[in-house]
Amino acid sequence: MGFNAAVQALEAHQVDGVIAGMSITDERKQTFDFSDSYYDSGVVMGVRDDQTMVKEYADLKGKKVAVKTGTEGYTFAQSIASKYGFTIVPFDESSQMYDDVKTGNSIACFDDFPVLSYGQKMKSGVKVVTKMEKGGSYGFAVSKGQNKELLEKFNTGLANIKANGEYKRIIDNYTATQGQAPQSRLEIIKDALPSLFKGLGNTLIYTIASLFFAFILGLIFGFMKVSQNKWLRGIATVFVDLFRGIPLIVLAFFIYFGIPQAFGFTMPLFLAAILTLSLNAGAYVTEIIRGGIQSIDRGQMEAARSLGLPYRKAMIKIIIPQAIRIMIPSFINQLVITLKDTSILSAIGLVELTQSGKIVIARTFTSFDIWLVVAIIYLVVITILTKISGRLERKVHHG
Amino acid sequence: MGKIRVEGLQKSFGSNHVLKGIDIEVKEGEVVCVIGPSGSGKSTFLRCINRLDDITAGKVIIDDQDINNSKTDINKVRENIGMVFQHFNLFPHFSVLKNIMFAPMELGKQTEEQARKTALKLLDQVGLSDKADAFPNKLSGGQKQRVAIARALAMNPDIMLFDEPTSALDPEMVGEVLGVMNDLAREGMTMMIVTHEMGFAREVADRVIFMDGGYIVEEGPPEDVFGSPKNERTISFLEKVL
Repeated sequence: MGFNAAVQALEAHQVDGVIAGMSITDERKQTFDFSDSYYDSGVVMGVRDDQTMVKEYADLKGKKVAVKTGTEGYTFAQSIASKYGFTIVPFDESSQMYDDVKTGNSIACFDDFPVLSYGQKMKSGVKVVTKMEKGGSYGFAVSKGQNKELLEKFNTGLANIKANGEYKRIIDNYTATQGQAPQSRLEIIKDALPSLFKGLGNTLIYTIASLFFAFILGLIFGFMKVSQNKWLRGIATVFVDLFRGIPLIVLAFFIYFGIPQAFGFTMPLFLAAILTLSLNAGAYVTEIIRGGIQSIDRGQMEAARSLGLPYRKAMIKIIIPQAIRIMIPSFINQLVITLKDTSILSAIGLVELTQSGKIVIARTFTSFDIWLVVAIIYLVVITILTKISGRLERKVHHG
Repeated sequence: MGKIRVEGLQKSFGSNHVLKGIDIEVKEGEVVCVIGPSGSGKSTFLRCINRLDDITAGKVIIDDQDINNSKTDINKVRENIGMVFQHFNLFPHFSVLKNIMFAPMELGKQTEEQARKTALKLLDQVGLSDKADAFPNKLSGGQKQRVAIARALAMNPDIMLFDEPTSALDPEMVGEVLGVMNDLAREGMTMMIVTHEMGFAREVADRVIFMDGGYIVEEGPPEDVFGSPKNERTISFLEKVL
C-alpha cells in the first residue's frame, strides 16, 4: 500500500508495524513508538534526467512540483512553497511522482534521498540535483505502548547487522551511484509475469467470493424491495441507497481503517476487501433482481394466482424463471464491473493485479510496459468471461 | 342459494371511486354478460370476485364463503374460479401442454399422467390438439386465448370469469374463442363475462348487466336489455355500439 495508507493502517491497528522510511518526529511520537534510527535521511529534489534548467529551489517559481502524501518531502515542499512560488501536486507512490516529472507535468519532485537515489540507479528517469536537506532519521514504528517486545527485537537485529557489515552492504546496494547492468524491457516483463499472474489469481478469487456474497445480499434485499410490506421495502431501499451512494474507495477506507480504529480491533485485509466489494456489488445486484422481477408483466402473477397458486409458488415457478433471463446480461455486466473494481482495493494494500503492477513499477520504473501488460491481462480475462457468460445466456434462452 | 353473491361492493383506488355499490346474485349454471362503456368498472368488478383486487367495502360470497374474510383460504377459493384475461397471460417459458398441466400438478390435484390426459382432452375440446408442444409465442391470438381457457378449465372450476376475452384479438379470430365459450355455456358452466361483443351477449347470456359510473344501471334478460332498454344511459350506450 502507499505510505499514507500504511500510516493509517498502523493508526487503525490493522498492522503491527510500519517500516517505510518513516522519519522519527515529535508529532509522530505522540501516536507511535519508534525503534532506534536505522538510517539518517533527508529530502532531496529530483528532476528529469535531461533537465538542465532546474538546479535549485529558486528555479521552481510558477512551476508544479510532485510530492508523496504524508512524507517528509511533502512537509518540506509545503514549508518552502510560498517562498519559492510553486504549486504542490500530491501522489501516493514514488513511481507515480517520477512519472509525473518524466511526462513534464511537474518540473521536479521532493523525496527522501535513498529513495530517489535508488531510483536514479534503476533508471527511473529522475536524477538528484540538490544536497540532502537536514532531515529526519528513519525508524521502525509500532502502535504506542503496545509492542515493546517487537521493538526490542528490531533494535537487537539492527545492532547485529550494523556490527557484521550487512548493514553497509545493503546501504551501498541502494545508494551507490554505480549499479549492475540494467535489464532489458522484455526481461523486466518476463520477471514481472509470475507476480502479475499471482495478483490476477487474487483478483479472480476476490471477484468470485464477493459476487457470491453480493448475490446472497441481492436476493435478500431484492425480494424485500418487491415485497408488499413497506418496512421491508424501506430497509432494502436504505441498503441500496447507502452502498450505491458511497464511492468504493471511501467504503474500503471506512471499513478497513475507520471501523477498526473506532472500535479498537483488527480487521483482516481479506475480510475488509470482500466486505467492501460484496456490499457495493450487493446494492447493484439488489437493483438487478428488483428490476428483473418488476419487468415481468403483472398479468403473469395474476394468471398464476387466479389458478390458486400461493404467492411464493407463483414467484418461484412463474416469475423468477422469466426474470432470470432478463437479469443475465446485467449480471454479466456486474461481473465485469466487480472484477475491475477489485483494483480499487489496491489502495488498502490488497495485492491483486493492479497492486502487483504497482509493486513491480515501484522497483523497475517501467510504467508503460507494465501498465500495458496489466491492461492486456484485464482485457483478456474479461473478454473470456464475457464470452463464456454469453454462451451461458444463449443456452438459458433456448431451454 | 346463489353461487356468487355480491352485496354493497365498493372499490376505490386511492381517491378514484371505481365501484360505488354493487349488489348481484348469480345462480349456478347462469351465464351473465357485463356490458358498459370503458371506465365503468366492469373489469374491476370481475377482479373483485376472485379477489385479484381487494374490495374497499361490501361482501363477495362464493358458495357461502365470504372471500374477504381473513379465515378464508383465498387460494382454495380461486381453485374453483377459472379466469381468462384480455391479454391471455400464458406462461411464455412453458409449452402449451405445460401451461395447462402446470396448476393441477403444482397444487397436487393430479399426477403428471392425469394432468397430461386432462390437458390433451381440453386441447381437443378447444381444437388445438396439434399445438400441444408449441410455445405460446408461436400461436395466434385466438389460439392463445383458447389455450388460456383450457388452462383455466384444467383446475375443473365451477365458475369461469372472462375479462374482455376477445378485445385484444384480430376480428377474424373472435369467432373461434366465442365458439369455445358458447360450448362451455351450453355445458352448464357458471360464467361471468365482461364483453363488448353484443351479438354474443344477446345469444348466449341468461342475463345482461349494464354498468356505468360504478353502478349497475340496468339488468335483465338479453331480449329486454337489448330489445327495450329502459334507462336512458343504456339506450344511449346501445345506440353507439349496435
